[in-house]
Amino acid sequence: MNLNFISPAYLLGILGIGLPILVHLLTRRRQTRIKFSAVYLLLQSKKRSIRRSKPNRLLLLLFRCLAIVCLSLALASPIFSLGPADEFLPPVPSANVFIIDDSYSMGKQAENKTLYAEALLTLAGTLKNISPESSFSLVAASAPARVLLDWVNDRETLLNKIKSSKPSYRTTDIGPAVAEAQKLLEAASQQAKRIFILTDRDKNGWDAKHFPKQAGDSIAVKVMDFSGRQEGRNRAAVTRVTVTQEFLTNSRIVRVKAGVANLLPKKSLRGVPLTLWVNGKKEREISLALPPSSVVDKEFSFPLPGHEAVEGFVAIADDALAADNRRYFTYQPDRKINVLVVDGDPNTVAHQSETFYLERALNPFYGSLSDIEPTISTLDELFNRNLRLYSVIMLCNVRELPIEYELELEEFVVRGGALFVSVGDKVDAKFYNEKMGNLLPVNFESLNRAARRDEPFHFLMEPSEHPVLKLFKGRIRKEMDGIRFFSLYKVSPRTGRTPGIPMRFKNGWPAVVESSFGKGKTILFVSSIDRDWNEFPIQPTFLPWIQRWVKYSARSLGSISQQDLLVGQSFALGEEMDAGGAYFLETLGGRVRLVEKKAGTHGFPPSYRPGVYRVYRSSAAYAAAPQSPREEIVRLPVDAEKIGGFTVNVDTRESNAEKISREEIRKILGAFGSVTTTDFVTQKSGTGMDAKGTPLTTPFLLLMALALFWEGWQVRRE
Amino acid sequence: MPNAVKSVYDPDILAKTASLSIRARHLVEGYLSGQHKSRHKGSSVEFAEYKDYTPGDEIKHIDWKLVGKTDKYHVKQFEQSTNLKCTILLDASGSMAYTSPLRTSQGMTKMEYAQTLVAALAYIVLHQFDGVGLLTFNDRIVNHIPPRYKPSHFQHIVHGLETLEPRGTTRIGSVINKIIESLPGRSMIILISDLLAPKDNLYKDLKLMRSRGLEIILFHLLHPDELDLPFEGDIVFESLEDDPDIGADPADIRKAYQKIVRGQVDSYKKTFPSLGVDYVFLETSTPLDQALNYYLLRRKSLHKG
Repeated sequence: MNLNFISPAYLLGILGIGLPILVHLLTRRRQTRIKFSAVYLLLQSKKRSIRRSKPNRLLLLLFRCLAIVCLSLALASPIFSLGPADEFLPPVPSANVFIIDDSYSMGKQAENKTLYAEALLTLAGTLKNISPESSFSLVAASAPARVLLDWVNDRETLLNKIKSSKPSYRTTDIGPAVAEAQKLLEAASQQAKRIFILTDRDKNGWDAKHFPKQAGDSIAVKVMDFSGRQEGRNRAAVTRVTVTQEFLTNSRIVRVKAGVANLLPKKSLRGVPLTLWVNGKKEREISLALPPSSVVDKEFSFPLPGHEAVEGFVAIADDALAADNRRYFTYQPDRKINVLVVDGDPNTVAHQSETFYLERALNPFYGSLSDIEPTISTLDELFNRNLRLYSVIMLCNVRELPIEYELELEEFVVRGGALFVSVGDKVDAKFYNEKMGNLLPVNFESLNRAARRDEPFHFLMEPSEHPVLKLFKGRIRKEMDGIRFFSLYKVSPRTGRTPGIPMRFKNGWPAVVESSFGKGKTILFVSSIDRDWNEFPIQPTFLPWIQRWVKYSARSLGSISQQDLLVGQSFALGEEMDAGGAYFLETLGGRVRLVEKKAGTHGFPPSYRPGVYRVYRSSAAYAAAPQSPREEIVRLPVDAEKIGGFTVNVDTRESNAEKISREEIRKILGAFGSVTTTDFVTQKSGTGMDAKGTPLTTPFLLLMALALFWEGWQVRRE
Repeated sequence: MPNAVKSVYDPDILAKTASLSIRARHLVEGYLSGQHKSRHKGSSVEFAEYKDYTPGDEIKHIDWKLVGKTDKYHVKQFEQSTNLKCTILLDASGSMAYTSPLRTSQGMTKMEYAQTLVAALAYIVLHQFDGVGLLTFNDRIVNHIPPRYKPSHFQHIVHGLETLEPRGTTRIGSVINKIIESLPGRSMIILISDLLAPKDNLYKDLKLMRSRGLEIILFHLLHPDELDLPFEGDIVFESLEDDPDIGADPADIRKAYQKIVRGQVDSYKKTFPSLGVDYVFLETSTPLDQALNYYLLRRKSLHKG
């Protein structure tokens, strides 16, 4: 017969009985004795009196003390059980693997502690009951599962290990942890082998595919469930955040769109505060209504006058699980777009060059205002250009590319670069048709010239929702409508390709052909980009038209430096970004680590804490101090330049409160000799788990209520 | 009655007089002088007839003037009505010793009041040439002073009262049974008691006494505390007789107690007259002249009868 207390500290509350005793002593009335003649009449009066005599004050005191004792006992969460303390722990030396679920769902609150802290306390208590000469090992059950402590015989080592541990921000993955435990136990010499799984039974961590299919009967498994200990429910989570900016309109408005999920299956949530924090300041706060089991998207917008990167997060009010109530984002507005313009018809007279008008249109004020940085190059200079430094390559009236250079261009576009092709009298259509098949989804059929100077070709300017063209309307569209084109190539789609045709001429021929290849885009303009074949470059609409196409096509490159990672994932720098030098990662709290280069690439370590991380590059080769390991904290070099940032957020699969049932656990762990489950429930009995003891919290609370009721009734009568 | 005279009977004032005999005389003289002319010249000395002297008659009763005229010896005979014998039965049980613990309650205690009443009655009876005796009792007879006519007998009565120590329980019935045979026929019984005992056969015993021709005046004496239960707080009541102690808050039982006590008094007021017993309820705060008044009225009616 056992009576255990989950929170024995509350037993100190029993000392509180001193208070009513003190009050009793202080308020005790002195009893006087009077010699009286008609005592027998008093006796009769007492019997007849409707107003009964005052309650026995000692009895009142007794009930008050009883109420306090009951309250203390109830708070201490007593568990009463018949039989031995734990049949799972026979008094023989054994090999014991403790699998501790350190996923972030174990950070839920249980009284004043987290479930994880409760689990550690239980683990420490279990250790005391394990017979001497046993050995212990500790495995973490968050993804990826890992052995935290190999076999030790010293309990203190294990205790010290768990004392310093905290719940992680990872998801639960019990299966691989069990597999690790099995491996450990196979190497153990003891006959008795046990696995203790301390978890909150989150269903997402119990994927049957990850569990060992075969295990010896000698291994017993005990699942210690702490889910019943949690206070409150994980009601909501921020599941996604996206940041956008109207980059085509030069708007300074940044839009942050957050998705908030109601995790409760049947209950609507009203008045959920959703706050937007930008660069450490609260920018906006709104209130949300969330229908049951749904995700509601809410968009914030705020002006961003500068060009600096913004970092922030979207948060909801804390519930039982705080880890999923915040989601980080980072955004680099108006990135500088480096454009490599290849002039296929250069001329010593500047205005006769193919790219004369284009260069001025891309950067009319020589870099002072425009976000586009054009670099003019001739065909011969192409080999000297590092394409990784450019977002967009524009081939202007290029006859043909150097041998196999089209392959480099393909690789550039596949990685996310943009290729803009304009034609002219130098263009060898045959070359483009034969070699540029992957990049250009159309064939050049014929060069067409206007029959007469006064019968030119014209754009067919119809209302369009295309991101580039949607702003061209009204008077501007009318102006574009009148632009005269005298020569152009007629193109037709290649077999099996369905290119986008955002602009056509009035005769129905495509004017602009758009297609995607890999992560990048290709844009083909079927006329010249100078005045040889048309009057477009000298029209006012040319500048916004070409700038918007460049920005539009370069947009896909933005995602490279804005990766939203989940906890445990690694930042991938990518070859296109790897411009040599040393890379540094500024982690949370401002600590800087040098990123070690492995196998020719910079391998960023997995990030296990949610937050915003910054990446810096130093062009100079960095030599770490010889005595310090490469990944230790270092000082950021003076010339280090911030090249971007990325965010790490929790995987909200763990937020789901769905629990796996006892039957399913037994089924999944069927390969093991015996599986027992222990429910550390005090408030919620009868959850279907094997309760090893009867929780006495409710009976004590009822007894306390009875005592208080009786006491109150008596005092009221008085 | 003038206030100055009234104050003479006030128990609070009488209590200041230490001597019981002086207190009684003071009370009775004051009462009689204010009430009517003395009964000294009353019927008890009125001439009835002559009879021939026979040896054994008192020589002092021979009418010598008539002897001179007739030369025959004649003896004067007087009215026999003055020969009333009055026995005062005083309850001397423990309950009569009740003394109020309240500071507000001053004046006579219940026993002092009873003693004063007995002494005054004895004094007034003797002044009327009646015989008076005193019998004190609790559950048995404590002291018995037989009735005498001599004025000096008053001192015996007073002495008996002064040496009285109330104790024990009240058993009126058993006492009546013991004395009823020795009481002279057609005499008067004045019973003074608080009647704080179970009634048992009280009515029956008094009825028996009445059937033997005894005139009974019952002075029911209670202290105001015993009527109102004016105490406050948590109190343990110790019995002055043999009842067990009882702890109670008087506030809880006051109403019920008052109802019982007044109910008893009301019951006595109805029942005793029907038995031929003159019932007089007296609080110790009641002026004593009321009791004397009642006695004299009763005595007068007896004389006429």
